[in-house]
Amino acid sequence: MSLLRAGDLVVVSAAALLVGAAWATLWQNAGPAEYAEVSAAGGHAHRLPLDRDQVIEVHGRLGDSRIEVRDGEVRFTDSPCVGRLCIHAGWLSRSGQVAACLPNGVVLEVGGGEREFDAFAF
Amino acid sequence: MPSPSDAAVGGATTNAAADGRDDRLIAGFAALAIAIHILEATLPSPLPGVKPGLANVITVVVLLRYGWYTAAWVAGLRVLAGSLLVGTFLSPTFILSAGGAVAALLVLWLARRLAGRWLGAVGYSVCAALAHMGTQVLLAWQLFIPHPALLKLAPFLLTAALVFGIVSGVIAAIVLQKLEAGPEGSSS
Repeated sequence: MSLLRAGDLVVVSAAALLVGAAWATLWQNAGPAEYAEVSAAGGHAHRLPLDRDQVIEVHGRLGDSRIEVRDGEVRFTDSPCVGRLCIHAGWLSRSGQVAACLPNGVVLEVGGGEREFDAFAF
Repeated sequence: MPSPSDAAVGGATTNAAADGRDDRLIAGFAALAIAIHILEATLPSPLPGVKPGLANVITVVVLLRYGWYTAAWVAGLRVLAGSLLVGTFLSPTFILSAGGAVAALLVLWLARRLAGRWLGAVGYSVCAALAHMGTQVLLAWQLFIPHPALLKLAPFLLTAALVFGIVSGVIAAIVLQKLEAGPEGSSS
């Protein structure tokens, strides 16, 4: 008797499909984001609608962070920080996603609809 | 290789000569499975609810060598005696453990009936692991933590079950090969 039989491969592939389906159904049901919330250190938060393309500049502790809205997504395009983690966070489009430029004190969060995440830990 | 219809008639068709021999087989394998079960209970787990499930190896080996009836006895005894020894008898852990074991046995029985000819240890092991884990997640969600966040864990847990199912299936296949080779084959 060999270690693997034909049916084993079928079962393993079917099981892999099943697990993949579980990932797909349980992890992709977040609603699309409806607005972005921008808050800067000291200032108060304001909301950007995501249905209108625009570029805004937010004044933070170190200087101006530039935030771009396009096609219902939003991202940092420039920030006067060292690590540029906020820019590398890329486009935010699903409700609950967050990008932040901590050195500059600017936080960008998208919301609306069904939230995909409750909280983030870094 | 016993035919798939073994499951229906149970242990009577195994190559054991008498009932006494069958009982001793069950007791021996159950003792092995319980030992593995307890060893695993002491291992720290990277994710709550994830265990390698190596006691599964014993169930699959017994299933393929002696039939479903014997395997069901071994698995049932393991859950019962294992929980008594670890101290979780009738606790939520026990309910999850028993529910998982029952589901795994049902799926093994079904797999045996439907595809016994084409399935080896790995196939049975993966079936059992996924049935076990899936049932546990659903039970935990229904009975203990009715929060949608628990279902978010399901893909992680099922992935772990798939991986560990394959691993213990391969181990079971190797064990079966050695058992078939007999004592001469394994001592050389």
